[in-house]
Amino acid sequence: MSLIFAYIDPGAGSLIIQALIAAVVSVPFFFRNAIRSTLGRLRRKPAGGASGSIAAEDAGATPTDSE
Amino acid sequence: MTERPPAQREPGSYRDPSGFVFRRDGVLYRQVNQVFADDWAAFESSGLHAALVGAGVLVADHPASIELAPEPGALAVIRPDEVGFISHPFEWSFSQLKDAALLTLKAQTMASERGMTLRDASAYNIQFHAGRPILIDTLSFERVRAGEPWKPYRQFCEHFLAPLALMAHRDGRMGQLLRTWFDGIPLDLAAKLLPRRTRFSPGLTAHVHLHARAQRRHAGDTDAPGRTAPKSVTMSDPRRQALLDHLRRTVEGQHLPAHGTQWADYADQTSYSAAGTASKEAIVQRMLEAVAAEGGKRAWDVGANTGRYSAIAAEAGFDVIALDGDWAAVERDYLKLRAAGETRIMPLLADIADPPPGIGWANTERASLLQRANADVAVSLALVHHLAIGRNVPLPMIAELHARLAPHVIIEWVPKEDPMVRHLLSAREDVFPGYTMEGFRAAFATQFEIVEEAPIEDSSRVIFRMRSLP
Repeated sequence: MSLIFAYIDPGAGSLIIQALIAAVVSVPFFFRNAIRSTLGRLRRKPAGGASGSIAAEDAGATPTDSE
Repeated sequence: MTERPPAQREPGSYRDPSGFVFRRDGVLYRQVNQVFADDWAAFESSGLHAALVGAGVLVADHPASIELAPEPGALAVIRPDEVGFISHPFEWSFSQLKDAALLTLKAQTMASERGMTLRDASAYNIQFHAGRPILIDTLSFERVRAGEPWKPYRQFCEHFLAPLALMAHRDGRMGQLLRTWFDGIPLDLAAKLLPRRTRFSPGLTAHVHLHARAQRRHAGDTDAPGRTAPKSVTMSDPRRQALLDHLRRTVEGQHLPAHGTQWADYADQTSYSAAGTASKEAIVQRMLEAVAAEGGKRAWDVGANTGRYSAIAAEAGFDVIALDGDWAAVERDYLKLRAAGETRIMPLLADIADPPPGIGWANTERASLLQRANADVAVSLALVHHLAIGRNVPLPMIAELHARLAPHVIIEWVPKEDPMVRHLLSAREDVFPGYTMEGFRAAFATQFEIVEEAPIEDSSRVIFRMRSLP
């Protein structure tokens, strides 16, 4: 069954590679989220923290916050 | 029933079967088609529409009469708020493109939270409004289907990530590739042009280098039996979330190297004394206020450089397009304005000696810069010598171009004895016998009447205010 409904061409190679990339990057993604939620439970206000966790908290931040 | 004005479909709005943008009587509308009914309903019922508009991510729209629909199959007609000036991604500096990319991903994040997703990630769907990027395509969202990959992935990489990476890692001028490949930079080309060291960046390795290789490898894929059918690729929601998070980190990780360019430090090199600068600013301010008093609202600062005079125009009440041909000047101006929260000035990367042409289908899909000229006043300070001597453009042609830009012109005459002109002539033969104030007056007199002229103190330069001939 065809799953892709798109008016733009998503590209055969682009679909296949993104599935592979997603599989790889989901490992650190969930690891980071797990650490973050654990830290959040342990300390209400983490002082500083790793740059990775700060960036993850910025997921919904406005573009200007990225600089 | 009253006679309706004829509808004109916007030339760039033809790709998406779910609807299109048109004008009636100069007013911008969008027809939503019946084929899009379910997704349009979900866009409303999920609360995404209201959330995006409320967060300033998407332009607001207002219901309009379905009677206005120019084509059959209409479900609804909406009237979106218009942005003041339509710019193209190759007219943006690095940080403008980066902010547009991050806004696209923010829209996707908000959609994901409500069971929806972006259907496309075209850089042309983003415009700058009141100093901030904003999504202008109200039909960019649909319900996400379980197990679906992120369909705009390829478009996002080609429209945003590839040019950003090329600017960050190769050269800031590489953004101009978007003028040729206006529908996104081919990833195989981006991969070839990027320095080898970018292969040590996990983000660029994944989303550009490996992505390009996968495109090449699967270029000939068909639905034939025995081949992996790309259409059957599936991805869990959490994995799609991880992919998008990784893309966002990769975009955020792109930074320009810190170094100056030809113009970026130009303001410090001008020939003005402190008294001359104060005099010039006072003259320009007074002349802008005079144009404002005649009803002027929009100004184009041509050759804006550091944006000093764009700021004066904004203070005088104008919405300003600050054009400069040097990407670093535009970048610096944008960062400065963004930090200050300035909403009335839009820095734009465009060389007035080579204004962006109409591109895409029939050369009309994306309008040329001159077609988009909507200024009431063109402010051309310290520009005429760069065009006349730096680019060998005859003075009458400079006057004709200004007549196409705006009905009012504030323009600075820079004589041959000026140190900056002497510098331009220092290594070349002076083949410009007509470059005199008399020649300048005569050239502009064919297009404009000179309303006033003011010599700058402590300088041989003169600023003219002109009005186009009726």
